[in-house]
Amino acid sequence: MIPFDHSIVETALQMAREAGAAQARIALERSVENSATVLDGRLDKTLSASGSTLFIQLYLDGRYGSFSTNRLEESALREFIRHAAAAVRLITPDPCRRLPDPALCWKGPARDLRQYDPAIETLTPEARRDKALSACREILGSHRRLLSVETEWGDNIDYSYTADSQGFAGETLQSNHTINANVSIRGRGDERPEAWWYESGIRLDEANPKGCGRKALQRALDQLHPRKLRSGRYDIVIDNMVASKVVSPLIRALSGGSLQQRSSFLMDRLGTQVFGENFTLTDDPFVPGLPGSRLFDGDGLATARREIIARGVVNAYFIPHYYALKMGIPATVDAPSVLRFSRIGENSEKVLNLPALLEQTGQGILITDFNGGNCNPSTGDFSYGIRGFRFEKGRIVHPVREMNITGNMLELWNHLTAVGDDPRTSSRWAVPSLAFEGVNFSGI
Amino acid sequence: MESALSRSGDYADIFFESTTSDELTLRDGEVSAVESTADYGVGIRVIKDGHTGYAYAESTLPAEMERAARTAASIADCPAAGTAPAPLTRLQVTNHYPIRTPWESLDVCARKAFLSHFGERLSALSPLIVRVVANLAYDHSDILFANSLGDLFCDERPILSLVASCILEKEGHSENVTVSRSFRRGSEMLSEALLDEMVAEVEAHIPYLFEARRPKGGRMPVVMAAGSSGILLHEAIGHAFEADFNRKGVSIFSDKMGKRICSRQINVVDDATLPGNRGAVNIDDEGTPGQKTYMVREGVLTSYLHDRISAAHYGVAPTGNGRRESFRFNPIPRMRATYMESGSGTQEEIIHSVKRGIFVDSFTNGEVEIGAGDFTFYVKSGFLIENGRLTQPIKDINIIGNGPQALADIVAVAADSRIDNSTWTCGKDQYCPVSCGMPSVLVKSLIVGGDL
Repeated sequence: MIPFDHSIVETALQMAREAGAAQARIALERSVENSATVLDGRLDKTLSASGSTLFIQLYLDGRYGSFSTNRLEESALREFIRHAAAAVRLITPDPCRRLPDPALCWKGPARDLRQYDPAIETLTPEARRDKALSACREILGSHRRLLSVETEWGDNIDYSYTADSQGFAGETLQSNHTINANVSIRGRGDERPEAWWYESGIRLDEANPKGCGRKALQRALDQLHPRKLRSGRYDIVIDNMVASKVVSPLIRALSGGSLQQRSSFLMDRLGTQVFGENFTLTDDPFVPGLPGSRLFDGDGLATARREIIARGVVNAYFIPHYYALKMGIPATVDAPSVLRFSRIGENSEKVLNLPALLEQTGQGILITDFNGGNCNPSTGDFSYGIRGFRFEKGRIVHPVREMNITGNMLELWNHLTAVGDDPRTSSRWAVPSLAFEGVNFSGI
Repeated sequence: MESALSRSGDYADIFFESTTSDELTLRDGEVSAVESTADYGVGIRVIKDGHTGYAYAESTLPAEMERAARTAASIADCPAAGTAPAPLTRLQVTNHYPIRTPWESLDVCARKAFLSHFGERLSALSPLIVRVVANLAYDHSDILFANSLGDLFCDERPILSLVASCILEKEGHSENVTVSRSFRRGSEMLSEALLDEMVAEVEAHIPYLFEARRPKGGRMPVVMAAGSSGILLHEAIGHAFEADFNRKGVSIFSDKMGKRICSRQINVVDDATLPGNRGAVNIDDEGTPGQKTYMVREGVLTSYLHDRISAAHYGVAPTGNGRRESFRFNPIPRMRATYMESGSGTQEEIIHSVKRGIFVDSFTNGEVEIGAGDFTFYVKSGFLIENGRLTQPIKDINIIGNGPQALADIVAVAADSRIDNSTWTCGKDQYCPVSCGMPSVLVKSLIVGGDL
């Protein structure tokens, strides 16, 4: 177990003061990671490690610098901070670099967001190996096309303690467990399609090896005999495993750094109707048991539940403390915690998982993987490679691959037709499956 | 080492690392942010029958190292000690990145002045430029390595990078241009000539930024400009040649050794020996000297890229590709500077030979699914080719192809091969600095994202 001794933070704060810093923020991050990898039924790799890093932010003579070190012996740390302070003195002052108003910072009370499962402490090297082995053995030798199966069990504990010179102090402790399987099979000619599946979560029982290998194998077999489609407009459904690909450009465009640098396709759009009325997105930091939940952000600002997009209107940006001062607007929070996508339509009783989304959409392309691509942050123009399936009458017909989708993020989100009720709860943002209409595909 | 081999491991290595990083950032016309990191630790690896035990410690206190060594040793499950470690002999290797002017000799004020000057030169390029963010970063790693075969080496690894992004606005529209250079050099890299080159690169893009459109998408010929088009090699074939994939039978090139896979005029190299190059490696992270490896010679697949484990699996010598992000990671086969050698003819002749297609000259990122062979790369800028001439500027499209097919579809190779010295970083499980290069080539058919 990680010893929760954070006296080094108080020591570093004192050293920063002695080095001349008017203000300082110090964060200690400790981690313990363990993993066992099995290749084709044999233990192939084990990893075991722990580490501690101290992050130091100095505000000195109106100037700012950020530093980190894992050399935590007192003499080495004192020397490091002395050097850091000397470097800060040589750069240009920035009046926006200062600690936030303490009134905006989290002051408690602590609230249990269920971020840690003590069962992680019961895991032994043998248990880790056995979990990876069981995911592997459930499919090893089970299919003539199977070339290799690699499975991995991993678990880690992340602890942080942050304190600043104005009296803010906050602590987080999070566990994570993951079982994943990666399968390759013999395809047509020289092709060896690969597929993966993983289960993960804060709780030990969320990473259940049972069925993990089978799902990966099935996903690989499903890819056999792909076809390329003609270029054209298609309705799409994006699987919750990969849907964050079209969410992250939105988040970037809503972020203070992009807005202040005028590199955002959502610049100057606060309070305006940008998307359809069916799109409502909420940032919720208080969902117990989800890994994105948190009580304070990286600056110590207290988090709050916020509607970011309300019936298509941009209601709030993600504005960290520094960029708030730069732009002369109030700070909100540095980044999303857990994203909540509101359901579309009246029938909120109906289950809307992936099969239901396919049925509702009728025909189109189900995207299960993205292959490269990018989005221009200034314009929102995007182009991504995709892999997935053609579906008709709500049922999968054949796999597709080697195709690109191309468009603009504003246009795409204005063509949102459905939001699944299947958020991937193991991922930080908890994005559900999403459906859009009339997306431009380039193929043959 | 004795603890690492205490459970009959076949091989063990110990990788000590001390890395410091310094960064300065210019934003809104001022250099008002400084960053430094110090990272220190030791990674211990044990191999038994091709399987790996790995542990690291952020301390070199004997007790911490002993604990890490015994943890790594557990990959082998025999209670008896195996082979005794051989006496250590220091390996002598060629230094491909001698530092002429140490980073420390340039104080923070001088670095700040250089970055400010760079920002001013960029801002002066055009009234359309509304923001410039520039970053100067220097990483320096001191490595000490020993293995149970008796190999011992020290290596000093510098990387100096300069990156700038400009945001431009015109009639309510916004666009961006990014330029970067990175070398394994000391502060001698920071010259006016370097700035001339980077400023000129930004300037060359400005006239087309707001004129560029998406082309009509679909399958078409693609002319790839010399230099950064090397991303095609990295994604289309490089990853599929990294032999850890082949060990699992995954790569689409698994059964192609010694076979012709493309035109005779194609030679593809992965090279650790380019002086000062971002991908240069004096000696890899498991004690194999850096070398120049021909992956494809005259169209025939001649070598995969090996670390010790994959080399032993194939019964060949390691090629010096065993690299790791830091002491926290075990080495795996990784590329270094991957490029195609020059062919014959000129870029103009190649463009002239295409009736309808696209010419592409700058990229941001790429990806590959090595089993299926499908790769992609994202094109930041280029032109339509109509009747053998460059016409409409184009931008922001993803190109997708299949590795072996794309290589076989290269039908023309110009005599203008050059290395691109941007900040290429490969992200296969671990981050690793690399570079790439290419002569101008014509790929006769790729799927281009675009409008209908």
